[in-house]
Order: sequence, then C-alpha cells, then structure tokens
Amino acid sequence: MSEYLVQRTTTWERFNHWVLAVSFIILCLTGLGFLFHSLNWLNTIFGGNHLAKEIHRWTGVVFTFSVLFTLGSYLGESLRFSKEDTQWLLNLGGYLSKTAVEPPQGRLNAGQKVYYLVVVVLCGAVIIISGFIIWLAPSTAGWLRLGHLLHNLAFVVFVTTVPLHIYLSTAANPGTFRGMTRGTVTKTWTKRHHSKWAKELGID
Amino acid sequence: MAVQEIERQKYISGVDVPYRQKGLLITPELCIGCRGCQTACKEWNKLPGERTHNRGTYENPPDLTPNLYNKIRFVEVETQQGLKWLFISQRCMHCGEAGCMKVCPAPGALYRTPQGAVAFNKDKCIGCRFCLAGCPFNIPRFDSNSKVSKCHLCSDRISNGLPPACAKTCPTGAISYGDRDKLLSLAKASGFKAVYGDKDLGGLGVMFAFREYPSFYGLPDTPGLPSSIVFWKSILKPLALIGLGGAVAAAAAHYITIGPKEPEEGGEQ
Repeated sequence: MSEYLVQRTTTWERFNHWVLAVSFIILCLTGLGFLFHSLNWLNTIFGGNHLAKEIHRWTGVVFTFSVLFTLGSYLGESLRFSKEDTQWLLNLGGYLSKTAVEPPQGRLNAGQKVYYLVVVVLCGAVIIISGFIIWLAPSTAGWLRLGHLLHNLAFVVFVTTVPLHIYLSTAANPGTFRGMTRGTVTKTWTKRHHSKWAKELGID
Repeated sequence: MAVQEIERQKYISGVDVPYRQKGLLITPELCIGCRGCQTACKEWNKLPGERTHNRGTYENPPDLTPNLYNKIRFVEVETQQGLKWLFISQRCMHCGEAGCMKVCPAPGALYRTPQGAVAFNKDKCIGCRFCLAGCPFNIPRFDSNSKVSKCHLCSDRISNGLPPACAKTCPTGAISYGDRDKLLSLAKASGFKAVYGDKDLGGLGVMFAFREYPSFYGLPDTPGLPSSIVFWKSILKPLALIGLGGAVAAAAAHYITIGPKEPEEGGEQ
C-alpha cells in the first residue's frame, strides 16, 4: 500500500455495504411505487405490480441478511461512546460552521455511530419485522394495520436520513467516498476527520 | 382527454360521491331469514357451495368466505322486552370514502363503477390483503391465490339496468335496489328517522333502515375509517415525501452555503 494511504474498510465490509445499498434502493423505489398511485410508474420499471411485489419481498430478504451482517462490522464500535463523541454530537460534527474543529474521533465518528444504531439497527429491525408481518402473519385486519403502520414509520426515517448519509459521505467530505469503493483513505484525511483513529494506527 | 375518460377517472378515483347514484336499502325488520339472497348471489356469481357443519344455528356458513359475498347474520339479543332474533345481510357496503380503495397499492384492482359500486379486478390484484386493513367492516376475503373477493353490487347486472341478484330475489322487500336519493326518501316516508350510511364514510352504497341499535347487528354505531389508516394516510404518507425532499434540499442548501469540509492546503485527500 502507498505510504500515503490507510485501509479503512475490508473487502467484505465494502461488498456488504453495496449489497445493502442496492437492495435499499430497489426496496425504496418499489415501495414508493406501491405507496403512491402517482408514483406507480416506478413499478412499471420493475415489470408491473405483480413482479414488483415479488421483487420487493425477496429483495427484503437480501436486505435482512445484509443488515444482520453489518452487526459484526459496526455494532461493537457504535456502542462504545466516548466523551469526544458527545462533544462531536453537541457541535453537530462542525457541519454548521466553516471553522469548527472536530473533536478527535475513532474509526467511526459519533454521527456514524448514531446513524448506525438508530437507523440501520433500530429502524432496520422495525422495517424488517413489520415487512415479515405483512408478508407472513395471519391475514387479520389487526396484524395488517400494525405491520403497515410500523413499516411506514420506519420508512419515513429511512428516506429522511439515507440522503443525508449519502451527502455526508460524498460531496460534504471530499476524500471519504473512496473508503467505500477502493477501501483506502489518505493519511491526511484520516488525521483531519478521525484523529483518534489515526493515533491508534500510529499516524503522526 | 376525452370527456368519457375524464368521467371514468372520476369514477375510479374514489372521490366521486355525486356519481354514486345507485345503492341498496336494507330493512332488517322486513327480513324473514330465508337466505334467498345468499343463494341468488352464489348462483349469479357462480360461486361454489362449501361444506360446513351444524353449529346449532340457522346462520351458515359462520363467516364470509371468498365464495360467499353476502351472508345473512342471525343475531340473538336479550333486551328488556325479551329475546330478539334479528337478521341482517353482511356484505361490502360500497363506501363513498372507501378505505379499501384508499390503501390498495395496485391501481385498478379495486375500482368504482359508474353506478357507484366498489368492484374488483383479480387480474390487477397483487394479493397483499391490505384492503382488509382499510375496511371498517371486515369484509374482503381472499381466494387460494390470495386475490380479493367480495360483493361488487352485481356490477355486471346493474351496468345493464338489472337489480343485483340479492335484491331481485328478496321476497319481502328487505333488500331494495334503486337510486340512492330515492331509497333515502323511501325510508324517511316509511318512518325511519335516520338511515345508517346516509352520510357515514362519504355515504354508504348499502344503507340500513334500523329500528334497533346498529351494534345489535354487529355494526359499529358510528362507522369510520380505522384510526391507524387515517394516521397513515394523512400523516405518514405525506411525511415520507416531505422527509425525502427535505433531506435532499437540506444537503443541497448546506453544500452551497457552509460548503464541504475542504481538503486542507497541501494535504492530499
């Protein structure tokens, strides 16, 4: 590896991240096609409502496994919350000012930890469990109403936060995206955004 | 767009109360429990019979099924005047504000006919069963392919000027078919102060002239859409689009005002 680069993600993490991302987008598009009659043309892309239903269900199974696999990569670290993480959250990662200094962050910053725990794990569990309720539970009005209510609640959180996740990992932080494509980031980037992790890696 | 197409869009959009001319008026006190309507419905719609067993009541089968669109429910109620034995037709009410149509994710699977009935198209139904969640009366049933089955007010008959099979066969006039406003004035002329379904849920296509409380017959006294469906429809659905648009707009606004965390000078990113 180049002397300027640091390995940020493993091949497995990147592979699973893109399985999760692609399955999410497919689920989101077919879901919107079902949710709004005005967006039903989206399901035409997926071969009509009947095929879109099957695609939504089985992509949901892929999504389920992908979310489960992320637990091994991020859960442990996300649960370890430090004093610097609290400071990071209190000044919102310095995103609301041009001059703010970021408190030293580990491999994952506090925002990523909260995003992972609240959106991926919590809302992921809600949308997965409610999805299986809609699919497999006895077809009584009670189960169906509960399933759809939870599915849509979690969906609102996903469609609101995922665009932010995409923005923050691409345009908002130049040099970040390659961590999920090539798997490496520069040492300069690491010191700038994750100085605690840089210290652990012995980068000065 | 041709005028006919505009009219058709109004019919299937579910916001077409003025167009809902036809309906049924059911007067339970005239019902003698002969279940001729149940049989006529099965005959017209070519629905097979089903094996049931004796439960000690004339009510049979015990519930609506994908092959039973209309059922006479037999109710025994103890009142201060003694035991009442009541009969009522249980079936789709063809709501003006139809919960099933509101929640259906497959356009055209449930649709409004020009006469105001809520009919179904099994070819378009994707079998998600969500219409059952949207129904205030627990009516839709599902066949072995999970496709919706329910009373469609004999839409094939009424579109050709014939009354629905149930109304045609009813020997006592307990089920009468006709223009909705005429049925309403008929009921008022017969001394019924209020008609169940006159205004509820945008006006029901199947109305009831009750002497007893609706709850005696197993119907909600004031029918309405399930609260979770209302919450989902009026709050969550818009919120999904507002949230998505808001997040994208917030990201764009951030990018052009505060801007990204630029690479440090001289540092390779």
